[in-house]
Amino acid sequence: MNFWLGIRHLDRRIIFLLMALGVAVPLLLKIGLPVRVTRDVSSVYDYIENLKEADVVLISYDHDTGTLPEMVPMSTAILRHLFLKNLKLVGMALRAEGNAIGRQAFKRVGDEFGKADGTDYVFLGYRPELTATILGLGTSIERVFPKDDRGVPVAEIPLMQNIHNYGDIALVISVSDDDTPVYWINYGNARYQVKVAPAVTAVMATTFFPFLNSSQIVGMIAGLKGAAEYERLIKRQGMASRGMDAQSIAHLVVIGFILAGNLAYFATRKRGM
Amino acid sequence: MSSSPGIWLAAFLTLAIYSFLYKDNPIYRFAESLLIGISVGFLLVVTFDTTILPKALEPVGASLVGTLAAGARSIPGLIWVLIPVALGLLMFARFVKGLAWLSRIALALYIGFGAGASIPANMQSFILKQIEASIGPFLSVANVWEAINDVIIIVGLVSTLFYFYFSKAHSGNFGRMAKLGTYYLMIFFGATFGYTVMARISLLIGRLSFLLRDWLGLMT
Repeated sequence: MNFWLGIRHLDRRIIFLLMALGVAVPLLLKIGLPVRVTRDVSSVYDYIENLKEADVVLISYDHDTGTLPEMVPMSTAILRHLFLKNLKLVGMALRAEGNAIGRQAFKRVGDEFGKADGTDYVFLGYRPELTATILGLGTSIERVFPKDDRGVPVAEIPLMQNIHNYGDIALVISVSDDDTPVYWINYGNARYQVKVAPAVTAVMATTFFPFLNSSQIVGMIAGLKGAAEYERLIKRQGMASRGMDAQSIAHLVVIGFILAGNLAYFATRKRGM
Repeated sequence: MSSSPGIWLAAFLTLAIYSFLYKDNPIYRFAESLLIGISVGFLLVVTFDTTILPKALEPVGASLVGTLAAGARSIPGLIWVLIPVALGLLMFARFVKGLAWLSRIALALYIGFGAGASIPANMQSFILKQIEASIGPFLSVANVWEAINDVIIIVGLVSTLFYFYFSKAHSGNFGRMAKLGTYYLMIFFGATFGYTVMARISLLIGRLSFLLRDWLGLMT
């Protein structure tokens, strides 16, 4: 069979195999390709850097388990920065699975820094209905979350004694795999002027560029690349930095297949094959 | 290699899902069904535990006990709790033939609240702020590069709006502007597709990292 015709009819399973190798080999070999920090990510880092000790940051886990490989490195890097700065954290979830994911992340990273539940951080739990929840937090956090996710009344949690609504929160970070940060912008920022920073999957990045341009968000961390940039900023390399080697090689594989596919198409079309 | 049964189970399920790439098979369908079942079950339990129980059952129970203890004075409090719960229950009237119309009352309120809350917020976030961000930079240009960026943005905005204006034929100068708008849209779609590829590869990286590190112990 003609070479180009062979490329055009390449078995898709060979493509899958090459893609798997393109990801697995860099993961095993540790190439260490450089990661450049973009302004979108450094804006979030700088904003947090400029917060005062004991300022309050609300992190909302607005994603499901399907996107954990992208979200966990991102959320871990952000939590490390926040705990390192001795900021107070309030966690919540607008997705049911986000409840367990967020609680686990708070506990794991909090333990790294010797932070205690109830005094350094609190996890309030999950609420459905984005609009009502986000608007409700502007009036009273305690009304939306009378108890934390373990059933402890919010009124009895030491950290929550001085946190009543968005007026007491310096920044909202929505860790999300969909357009939930748009709700935070619409109802948290536009209505209550609370600062918002989306930490989203790469697939959602283009949704938020207009909001960056209009300064409705303080910055944006997008995908594994954003997480790797953040790891570089906090000078603590993790899975995102390691994964960026694989990401870059896999992109080269994709580009290679796009080029080969197009060349094969034009070569065989010219010969009427 | 891991000795944890949990890791082995997760590795088996990961490979079961990826087996679909070779061809559809019963092991893949088993793993897919398991995922859907667990996700729905988890959602039901969490929703009951964090919403239905504290927001409906407990307040109604507490109000009923309060009314029984304090008598008629507590009835207004009980009514305030019962109204939203009753509206929520009306949604289930859809399943009863002849009573389905009752669900429209709850739906009407829900839509009314949604529209009332979202229209001004969307107007502010998507229209006013975006217009301000598109025009504002021309009033205070910091340097040449910023000015070029501003021009690119405003040309893109106007030409894309031309493309989405369908009450006039896309011909002549109008058509040329609309055509320019399609190029901007294609760049947007290309960027979005690029990010999508990046996101999907990230997921593959996550699973392969799990298999190589946590299961096989090949990554340090």
